[in-house]
Amino acid sequence: MESILFNIFAVLAVLSALLVVVNPLSRSPVTSAMFLVTTMISISGLFVLLNAYFLAAVQILVYAGAVMVLFLFVIMLLDVQETARRKLRIVSLVMGFVAVGALFGVYKSSVEATYEDVEAVDEVVVGSTEALARGLFSKDNGFILPFEIVSILLLVAMIGAILLSKKELR
Amino acid sequence: MGDQLKFVQLEMMVVALGLLVLIADLAMAPSRRRLLGYLSAAGLFVVFLLSFRDGYTALVNESTEAFFNSRYKVDGLALFFKRFFLIAGIFVLVFAVDFSERLRSGMAEYYSFIVFALSGMMFAASANDFSMLFVSIELITITFYILVSFQRHRLHSLEAGVKYLILGAVSSAFMIYGIALVFGVAGSLQFDDLHAQQSELIQSKVFLFGMLFLFAGLAFKISAFPFQVWAPDVYQGAPTPTTAFLAVGSKAAGFVLLIRLLVAAVPEVTAEWTSVLLVISALTILYGNLCALPQRNLKRLLAYSGIANAGYLLMGIVAQSEEGTVAILYYLAGYLFTVMAAFMIINLLTKEGEGEDISCLSGLSKRSPFLAFAMTLAAVSLAGIPPLAGFFGKFLLVKSVATEAFGNTCFFVLLAVAVFGVVVSIYYYFGIVRTIFWGRRKADEPTPPPVTIGLPVRIVLGCCVAAMLYLGLLPNKPVKWAETAAKVGVTSK
Repeated sequence: MESILFNIFAVLAVLSALLVVVNPLSRSPVTSAMFLVTTMISISGLFVLLNAYFLAAVQILVYAGAVMVLFLFVIMLLDVQETARRKLRIVSLVMGFVAVGALFGVYKSSVEATYEDVEAVDEVVVGSTEALARGLFSKDNGFILPFEIVSILLLVAMIGAILLSKKELR
Repeated sequence: MGDQLKFVQLEMMVVALGLLVLIADLAMAPSRRRLLGYLSAAGLFVVFLLSFRDGYTALVNESTEAFFNSRYKVDGLALFFKRFFLIAGIFVLVFAVDFSERLRSGMAEYYSFIVFALSGMMFAASANDFSMLFVSIELITITFYILVSFQRHRLHSLEAGVKYLILGAVSSAFMIYGIALVFGVAGSLQFDDLHAQQSELIQSKVFLFGMLFLFAGLAFKISAFPFQVWAPDVYQGAPTPTTAFLAVGSKAAGFVLLIRLLVAAVPEVTAEWTSVLLVISALTILYGNLCALPQRNLKRLLAYSGIANAGYLLMGIVAQSEEGTVAILYYLAGYLFTVMAAFMIINLLTKEGEGEDISCLSGLSKRSPFLAFAMTLAAVSLAGIPPLAGFFGKFLLVKSVATEAFGNTCFFVLLAVAVFGVVVSIYYYFGIVRTIFWGRRKADEPTPPPVTIGLPVRIVLGCCVAAMLYLGLLPNKPVKWAETAAKVGVTSK
């Protein structure tokens, strides 16, 4: 059952991710955004299969919900037209495929060299909200310091975004 | 928790200063913003002095277990780099006040962003864990995206910002992917754990693959060879104080993390990769020096020289010895003062909108003998000619590689490349010196007036000149400091 579900979600995630970037039927950015939503939802399905329920919920709430609404807002505010079909240069296309293929080859062979025989894992870890919170905030073992630094980072990003987009130069 | 906060006291002060600047801006009249810049520089100086307090330096000897579960390290290396970044931050702030008329908007934000970037660097100096590494690197880089594109009315600045944003995001993606792979194999994010299991981990190809991606991300920050394309455009387009901070701070942050990772945490991986690192180091030196030859724009020229210097600094990592680390620290210290002086002088001379062409230096010896003297010293020091800071740093780096060279002929190739690079660099640095003393203006051009320099800038330039001479002439004491800082070990649990 689980492996069937995994296959469905995985194929859906990869296919719709592909359709975000290369869609033969439509060049509209809104369609791409919608396929991105499908990708997010399938990934949250994968999180559920990994017993990470909190992450799955956050994935849908934040990414498929808030972030995507923002994306659509920006697309509609900027009134992005369907972009003209760009001419692909054959050289860059070949180079791109060679680079990606080589990288994938190295990755595949390194994975094969490392995991010759993978044992099945019996242990089931349930990623409950409490476990996540303990991991993040506990004072002895948690990620409290990096977490706090992220807050400075977000502050900087926020002020920066306002500064760079402010209409009036004063 | 409370007892752990003392380990991040300096960083907390710096962050608080950044917030204070933002708030104080609301209450201050726009005409007094310059004062705000000087005040924040003074604040950083106080933090710098506090870093010498016994209560703080005593933390170095305390048990490392307590440091946020050894995610965070306050050791000699961290202390050295924290002070290094603080000095750089003070200089850049003074520099930024001098530059502020050209920013048009958001001066106070500019100062506070410099302070926030500085706090990121100080966190990076202590990072002993992948989560800390990533978060602090991102804090630095995201602040720099904004600092680079701060002159919104200049197309060059925006272009540089966009280029840096896109390439920086790609490099961060590489880094986080690498971290994920390493975590997948090692099952831990902490450098101490990696150190403990390194001989098993090195058997795993996935681990090495992840480390390679991580290295790519860090190599972007230090602008080493295959990841250097962004540097000239970004250095040229960014506001000059940002360029100076990028050249000194961002690069040094990359190096402290490389030392923590490659020298302290997983030396066996570094040993395995000697040839890779060696080739990257050699190519970086060659690329930087050869591409600098035809440059006429001073900031671009310094960008290429910065790439070459990243190559020299990588030699210290290739050496894989404490001596190599000492050399890196010493060289970085010299580089800080030299590059800061050079960018500051470029900024002073291009104030009147002359452009950053090398010809703006011509006749400088008559316009301002002090600036001519300082710029000559900076150029000579960068070229690595005795008796200045740059010479002694390069000497230490070459020596650290040379002592390891017996038994590995490839090292001699690296040494040859380094010496060749120095010879090439003398050509273009002396182009600068020649223009200062013998450069001629066109006959119909009026002789420009003597340059006026404000007192704070004069003090900073004086400090830079003094430090260049001190590091070059009396290297005994600084080398001792670097040696105490370079004793990076990994606490085994």
